[in-house]
This record gives sequence, structure tokens and C-alpha cells, in this order.
Amino acid sequence: MSKFKVCMLGAFAVGKTSLVQRYVHSIFSERYQTTLGVKIDKKNLQLDGRSIEFILWDLAGEDDFINVRSSYLRGSAGGVLVADGTRAETLDIVFELRDKLYHEVGEVPVILIVNKSDLSDNWTIDSQRLQALRDAGWQVIETSARDSSNVDQAFETLAGQLLQPVS
Amino acid sequence: MSAYPETVVDKILQVTLQSNKFAYLAIDEKGRLVSQGGEIAATGLPQWEPGQSILDEALFLSGYVPMSRDYEFIAAFQAGNGPIVDIHLFRDQEQIWIILVDKTSDMEWESAARQNANELRLLQQQTQRQPVASDQDTDPHTQFDFFESLNMMALRANDDGSFERLEPVSDRFKRLYPESAESARALYPQQKFPFVENFLVDATEVWEAGDSERRIRSGPWVETDGGCEVALEAIALYWKGNRLLFLEVLDESYRLNQSFLQMGREGVLLNRVLEDEVRKQTREIRAREEEIALRLVCAADSRDDGETGSHIRRLGLYSELIAQHLGWNDADAEEIRIAAPMHDIGKIGIPDHILKKPGQLTESEFEIMKLHPEIGGRILSNSKTPLVQMARDICLGHHEKWDGSGYPHALAGEKIPISARIVAIVDVFDALIHKRVYKDEMPVDKAVALMLEGRGSHFDPDLLDLFIRLKEQMTEIAFDYSNPIGDDLSKAASIIDDIHLLRPGD
Repeated sequence: MSKFKVCMLGAFAVGKTSLVQRYVHSIFSERYQTTLGVKIDKKNLQLDGRSIEFILWDLAGEDDFINVRSSYLRGSAGGVLVADGTRAETLDIVFELRDKLYHEVGEVPVILIVNKSDLSDNWTIDSQRLQALRDAGWQVIETSARDSSNVDQAFETLAGQLLQPVS
Repeated sequence: MSAYPETVVDKILQVTLQSNKFAYLAIDEKGRLVSQGGEIAATGLPQWEPGQSILDEALFLSGYVPMSRDYEFIAAFQAGNGPIVDIHLFRDQEQIWIILVDKTSDMEWESAARQNANELRLLQQQTQRQPVASDQDTDPHTQFDFFESLNMMALRANDDGSFERLEPVSDRFKRLYPESAESARALYPQQKFPFVENFLVDATEVWEAGDSERRIRSGPWVETDGGCEVALEAIALYWKGNRLLFLEVLDESYRLNQSFLQMGREGVLLNRVLEDEVRKQTREIRAREEEIALRLVCAADSRDDGETGSHIRRLGLYSELIAQHLGWNDADAEEIRIAAPMHDIGKIGIPDHILKKPGQLTESEFEIMKLHPEIGGRILSNSKTPLVQMARDICLGHHEKWDGSGYPHALAGEKIPISARIVAIVDVFDALIHKRVYKDEMPVDKAVALMLEGRGSHFDPDLLDLFIRLKEQMTEIAFDYSNPIGDDLSKAASIIDDIHLLRPGD
């Protein structure tokens, strides 16, 4: 079995914990409860006949109160960067966190999740901006932890990248 | 007189005084003060003299002194209206150490206080054993019993990467980490907890430094225990040749810190919602202002030719475009869009036979027509509203010329308000390129060429240059909004509707 440490990174209240809860435990809570420190969860999956164990590090969201400790990123095989589609500014934080991750562990595979697609009427991140990111090579996936859309697919996309041989 | 060597007292003070909400007392079995430190006053307790019995005044000690156990804990004690304190009592041979931790405010201190208490304990025991130094001094097995009551597991690193548990282990840890109950000597917490594996990199650095002054805390992490989340923290320190690792269940302090953080973040989110609501309300108010202004301007101009309605609409849009390219903020750019259409409101005071005259005006008629800027200025005077003030500036200044040859006040250069200089340009442009009852329309390029003749004389040269750079966009506005409207107020409403459609974000 291949084990991968994967860090969930993003601004606060973008839905990192909800995504993990949805992915690992198939549950969703409407109540927002902020994460302090790190929550660690595991998920086993099969992809292309291979067994994978994700060790998901759900890190406290970055904001004026909390900065992600670089030491938490140590040993990461990949990253799930999460933005909230209803708060465009959370996308800017994603770029900073990706740089932080790359600085700590090098250019590991990452995916960008734009969460809360169930609230797409209220999105302030426009599709043109996301398309520009896709054109620039970002793996962008729009998800909803609430209705579970694309959540499994997002993590499987990352798993696929992690299993690719390093060129 | 302290029972301890001075250096150790200094160390105790150094540790305890890290917090201004922390105090300690050392008493003998009869309750007489040996030493004290920290912020005694902050705990609400009096200052006692060494040798003085404190039992009569420190009523919280009733039933605890003399101590029958090595450690006692009194949670959230409050004497009268004094502060709420947690009290830790440690029996140490002939002395009792009393640690008081203020719990009335930031509960983050709880964790720090525990650590300080632990460190005090280590120092105290170290001091007690100094006179009879032996190999037993360096054996931490006998030192850590009280960690059980603190929900803390003490481990010593072995050379082979395993850890030895220092007895005893609490029920809490037995449940969370069953292996710890099965074996004491070869535990691998780094395999059980990925977080610990990560932390050991930092811990090793501390251990290799061999400095007992240094310790490192991991920050909290959360494990799941039977469906419940348990918050833990790891602490590494080096002590007398031992590489120690403590795992602590944080419980209340974690929840409180989490609550504080959550409150802060919910506040940020709420502010954002409120800001959005304020922006929305402001847009609605501005739309209302704009609608009223345009309806009144349309009503005032209804005596003029049929082009007026769409002319004023275009004037606002041209002006806004220039303002945006001058770097004005959104609010100011929006303001000129609303204010510019009022530039000719003073024509309401011009008699019909002059205003509606199809042919060229006589000199005397033109003198009367030239009064309209001042009439408009008077209509809009004495307002404290920036929008109306700007409209007044435009009314008064849109027939002034850069070289001072305009009217009504023959102002020159930058003495003419910039809003009026902008409208002066777009008003002429729009008039030139549209048909009037008394003239044909002029091609855009020809109009621009004609206007260039007035660069630096009629028009502000820099603004005219900017206008020409924006010629394409200006032309788009001119032809997108070129339908004659006439003086029908219901059609004026359709202008307003169109303008609403132009405004983003509603």
C-alpha cells in the first residue's frame, strides 16, 4: 500500500474540514466549527488496482489569527488547496499557501478545490478566472461538501497525480 | 528563608514569573510560609512573612494540609469576589508547594501553567536530591506520578527509536493509545500518531542540543477516540540526560481556545456579511438618487429638443468613462455619471421663445441663454451633498474655457473644476456628432479634429488627450445610446432602466 501525507490548505471557513468529513466519513454538518491546530484523518482507496492510504492533515485555516506552521507541511506528498467560491479573497490565500508548501517540500502535486458549488449563485470567483487557472496548468475542481458533488473525484484526481511516476 | 539554594529559587522565579497570572507558595506541614513568588496580589491572597502560618487566612487549604496524598487539585476556586484560580498542591517531603493559576481570563494559561507546574516539580525534586546525589536522581520513573492526574503521558526516548513509558498511564491514554497500557518499554507513539512522527524532527533537535532550558511544544492536534475528538499536544524537553516526550490531553483549554478563535472568525465573517449588506444598501440608495435626478432633469429639459433625453444619458456615461481612466474611485466615478446630466438644468429659467428657437440666437438672446449656468448653479447651491456640489460645479463651469474666455466667470485652467472640464469636452463632442433640428451630425473623426483645434484654448489639453485615447469607447457609447427620446417622461424611465442595467453588482 502506498501512503501519502496530504495537507488540506486554505483560508478559514472554506470547508477543508467539511471536505475531509464528507470524503472520509460521508457526513456533513451545517454547523461551522473552526479547526485549531491539526486534525488528522485517514482514508484508504483503490485506484487503478493500487491501494492507497491518504493521511489527511486538515490544517487550521490561515488568517490574521493563525498562520500555518511550516513544520506541519514537512513530509507532504501532495496538497489540497481549498478556496470558497463565495469569497474571492480566499483564492489569493491559496496562492500564498501553495508557495509555502512548495518552499517546504518542493513542487509536489496539488489540486485546487473551489468549494461550495451548491451556492454557485453567490460565487464571487468567476468562471473566467478559474478557466485562466486551468489554462495555466492548475487542476481546478469545483466541489460541494454539502451535497458531495465532485468530492471523491477531487481526491481521486490527486491520487492519480501522486501515483504518476516522477519524470 | 528559602529552603532551596539561591540558583534554584531564581529558576523557580524565572519559570513562574513567565506569567503575571501565576503564583506559588511553599509551606511546611504546619502551614508556615517558607517561600512565595509570582503575582500573589493577583490571586487575591495577602502577602505573608516567611515563618508565618497562612492556614487561618488561606481557607481553601482546609482539609488539604497536612496532605495525605502527593498531589491535590482544587479546580476553579474563588474566594469572595476574588479571581477564580486553579490550585495545585504537591507534597514534597517536608514541604507543600501550592501553585495558583488565575483562570478568570485567557484560558490559554491553563496549559502553560501546567507546564510551569511540572517544571517546578522537576526543579523542586532536583533540589531535594542534590545533597544526596545518586544514580537514582537521574531516573525519571519516580518523578512523574502526578502526570496521570494531569492527563499527561511521560515518555523517555530510547536510542533505538522506541520510547519507554514512565508510569503510570491514565485511563484516558489507555483508551486513546491502548498499546501504552500493554507495554511500557517499547512504545512507538510516532507510529500510532503521524503528528508525533512529524514532531519528532523538532524534538530531536531539542534533545540533541542537550539544553535543559529549552523545550518545544507541538501546538495542538486532534485525534479521534471512539467517535469523539480528543485534542492533544506534544512537548519535548531534555532533562538530566533523558530525552523526554510528554503527550498531553488538552480538553478544556483546547475547547476554550477554539471558542475564542471561532468567535474571532465568526466576527470576521459577520463583518463581511454586514459590509456586503451596506454595499447593497448604498447601491440602492445611489440608484434612487440617480433615478430622482434623471427624472427631474428629464422634466426640466422636456421643453428642449427631442435629443435631450439620450444626450444627458450619454453625457453621464462619457464622463464616468473619463473619470475611471483618471483613476477616480468607483464612488466618485459614479457620482459624475449622475451629476453630469444636470449640467443644463439652469435652462429651466430660459424663456421658451429663446430655448426653442430653431434658428440662430440674436446677441441679446444669447446673453440670456448664457445665464443658464448661473441659474443652474443657484438651483444647486448650498448643498452639503457631494453629488449636488459636483453637479453645481458642472452647471457653473461647463461653459468655461481653459484659456479663460468662457462664461459665466471667465475662469481659466485648473480654476475650472475638473468635473466641469470633463463635461465641457463630452458635451461638445456629443453635440457635434448628433443631429439637431438646426444642424446635421458630424462624423466622429471630423468632430475630434475640430475639437483638437480647441486644445489648450477651449479644452483642458490633458483631458482632451485622454478623451481622444478613449475615442473608440466614446463612439460606442454614442451609438449604443443614440435613440431620440423626446420629452416623454415614460421614456425617461426607460433611460433609467437602461442605466440600472449598466451598473454592475446589483
